[in-house]
Amino acid sequence: MTNSSQTALSIHSISMSYGANKVLDGIDVSLEAGKVLGLLGPSGCGKTTLLRLVSGLLLPDEGIIEIAGRAVAAPAKGIALPPEQRGLGMVFQDYALWPHMSVAKNVAFPLEMQRRSGAECRDRVAKALDRVGLGAMAERRPSDLSGGQQQRVAIARAIVAEPPLVLFDEPLSNLDRELRECMVEELSDLVADLNLSAVYVTHDHGEALTLADHVAVMRGGKIEQLACPDELVSNPATVAVADFLRLGCLLPADRNGDGWQVEGTSVRLPDGPVASAKSTLLLPERAMRLGSEGPAQFKARVLRAQTRSTGHALTLGIEGTNHLIRLVSAQRARIGDLIDISYSPEELRWFPA
Amino acid sequence: MAKATTTGAEGSALLRWIATSGLLLVVAVPCLFIIIQAIFPDIGSGSLAAPFSLFFRTLSDPDLFGLAGNTLLLGVGTVFFAALFAVPLAALRALFKVPGAIIWDALLLIPFMIPPYIAALGWIMTLQPHGYMEQVTGINLAGLIFSVPGIMIIMGLNTFSVVYFVLSRTFETIGARYSDVGRVFGAGQWRSFWRITFPLAMPGLAASLLLVFAMSIEEYGTPAALGRRIGFDVLVTGIENRISEWPIDLPGSATLSLVLVGMALVAFMIQRWLLTRRDYRIVSGKPQASDKRALGLWAVPVSLYFGFITFLATGLPILAILATALSRTISGGLTAENMGMDNFNELLGKGSEGLVALGNSLALGVSTALLAGLLGAITAYSVVKGRGRFRLVLDALSITPNSLPGVVVAVGIILAWNQPWLPITPYNTPFILLLAYICILLPQPVRYATASLHQLGDNLESAARVSGSGPLKAFIRIIFPLILPSMVTSMILVFAVASRELVASLLVAPIGFQTIAVYIWTQFDQGSAGLGMAMAFCAIMITTLIPLGLIGLLRWLSKGQVAGLN
Repeated sequence: MTNSSQTALSIHSISMSYGANKVLDGIDVSLEAGKVLGLLGPSGCGKTTLLRLVSGLLLPDEGIIEIAGRAVAAPAKGIALPPEQRGLGMVFQDYALWPHMSVAKNVAFPLEMQRRSGAECRDRVAKALDRVGLGAMAERRPSDLSGGQQQRVAIARAIVAEPPLVLFDEPLSNLDRELRECMVEELSDLVADLNLSAVYVTHDHGEALTLADHVAVMRGGKIEQLACPDELVSNPATVAVADFLRLGCLLPADRNGDGWQVEGTSVRLPDGPVASAKSTLLLPERAMRLGSEGPAQFKARVLRAQTRSTGHALTLGIEGTNHLIRLVSAQRARIGDLIDISYSPEELRWFPA
Repeated sequence: MAKATTTGAEGSALLRWIATSGLLLVVAVPCLFIIIQAIFPDIGSGSLAAPFSLFFRTLSDPDLFGLAGNTLLLGVGTVFFAALFAVPLAALRALFKVPGAIIWDALLLIPFMIPPYIAALGWIMTLQPHGYMEQVTGINLAGLIFSVPGIMIIMGLNTFSVVYFVLSRTFETIGARYSDVGRVFGAGQWRSFWRITFPLAMPGLAASLLLVFAMSIEEYGTPAALGRRIGFDVLVTGIENRISEWPIDLPGSATLSLVLVGMALVAFMIQRWLLTRRDYRIVSGKPQASDKRALGLWAVPVSLYFGFITFLATGLPILAILATALSRTISGGLTAENMGMDNFNELLGKGSEGLVALGNSLALGVSTALLAGLLGAITAYSVVKGRGRFRLVLDALSITPNSLPGVVVAVGIILAWNQPWLPITPYNTPFILLLAYICILLPQPVRYATASLHQLGDNLESAARVSGSGPLKAFIRIIFPLILPSMVTSMILVFAVASRELVASLLVAPIGFQTIAVYIWTQFDQGSAGLGMAMAFCAIMITTLIPLGLIGLLRWLSKGQVAGLN
């Protein structure tokens, strides 16, 4: 983790199939040392497979994987290093702590495999456990710990040998929501403090946006968009990205004569790209306000209203269409009410239909 | 796809080779030689002449039909009696508050610990003319025990507890889960038993009865001890006869072995199919507490019934064995002045044959347990980790011994290792017994190890690999310690069975080399029933108390330790 400004991980045109099913198709990513790459996507998108390829638990059909400048998998050149020779740290979804070893023994294992001296092991294990706040638990069995504590042990095990790259495989998905939110922050501090290079796989966009410097949104074995979190949210590259990140309401639009409108209805839209006759439009949730003060408006009917700790979660139907909008508002609204929604046209995003 | 498999998920190549060569040596070689011998009758003199000549002659031999018919008859009859004893007991146990239910369960475990041939000898002592039955009650039932139904009843008593345990658990679980639902919708308790519980329990019942069938067609001791006297021969005794009595008929015994294996294989396949079928899932799991009915007035007759069956299955054979062991002479009968420790003194006297046999069996039992356990663990690991055709072959080889009766294993081993052209051979050394026992008992540790490997999360090993450990080290440091507790349990079982195995020991033991079973069998044959039964009693004590003690120790040691496996 004390790498200079070299690349921690580079992946060139990696492909992988199970039989006829292409799980990964020409993936290209690279990661600077000291940065975190998030792999985000729905289940079955290939993100976990990609992580297992990096770890060496799977081998690619083609392409090249380099870790800290060293080729670890390159089928064309006959390079296929097994996991133990890649010098990684990894945190698993199910923690994968060895139940027959104490917490300290679990954490010491990677050092032991490097044949470090007993004294050095003890020192570094104690340091790693202190980092995750479990210094007092060293002699316990993993089964005596809570889920969150177990995951902290797994994190300590992954960082104890100071690997050039740490892999996280949905590490928080087994925890309940409250603990997850708290662990995201802890993990983010830890990653920053230790200046870790890491790959973080998750299906939770909140986690990815919080933890990663760059997020690769994956779908069907390909990367849909690779960008920093801000860019992803403000400029989603495709409809799929906008949909997966739940950025807002996606509307089909078409142009007839004098302007754009929601397809099949007479709901008017501001001017869009001129080139095509059809488009899909993203109406971002964060661009919408209740009321008629904004530069552009439409009317919507309140279909459902739930009280949340953060405000009122409204489900609205755009009047004159079947399209639904979900937004959280500070104001109350009654079911059945017809209300004004305003937005700024420059925040709309247009995608080719 | 050829290269695009895995590095990390593949497991250690060294272990794969150990598993493959171990299975080839222990399982494949004997099987192969039975087949070769059946086809080429003169293989023993190095000739491939006249292939299939004797094969078809043996297959069309009326003897074969007789033997195969008797085997089927014995199997079906045993299944009938086992079901007759087990089903009512299981239903009562599952649906009603039977007084002392836990005690009956514990007592009904005892038939697992008494080798069937010892129980059969106990029955002979009891029911033969002037036996203990006649001495105590004046009734002579010799006609019953030395008859085909008598053999079936005794084998049914030896095996019904398998059915009882499967069925009573199944009834309880189904009762708690589904039958209660039936009662909510208005069915009475009996109605819901017949309409819901019983049909749902059918696959489990059928599977356990098939197990009884397989056990009874593979059994040597009981039909040999009882059937010989009335000229009732089955395949197992027929095979043993052809290999141990002049003129020795190797091709005949090989062919008969194939027929027997075929029958066992069919039973085993149907059982496996029943247990893995998806639509009717075999109900398993812990029985939940359910409201069982009180027996009321019926409590006394039901308890008497439990007591009667339990006494027949466990108390009577053990008492007969003990009485014989304590009798100075058999003709002296059950009188106080005829009782004494003479047989035990002779058996356990310094430098006696009996002590040597005990030592041999214990040593063989321990070695078999260790080697079969290790090979079983490595095999199960290689199968679970393996891929493609290789995995299929390994899996098939590891479950083959399930359908190999001990007598067939013995025939295969004799055929394989007695070839004159072999430069060195374990034949005529105690190692040949080790080979036979490992082959017969290998399925036990494989089954335990496979079940316990499936409970381990895949990532436990992946985590070790990513942490820098090679595949072999990951097995030794992570996998093996985690499956060790259940491996020890299976090794204890292997020890208990191997240390008193009968038919393979009779057939392949080196000349003059005695084991517990061989000693009992020959003493009984030579008319020294007292000595034989003293050994039988010691054998039961040793091979049940040692395992029970070990299991208890293990539980105590691992208390609260290896908990929380994924």
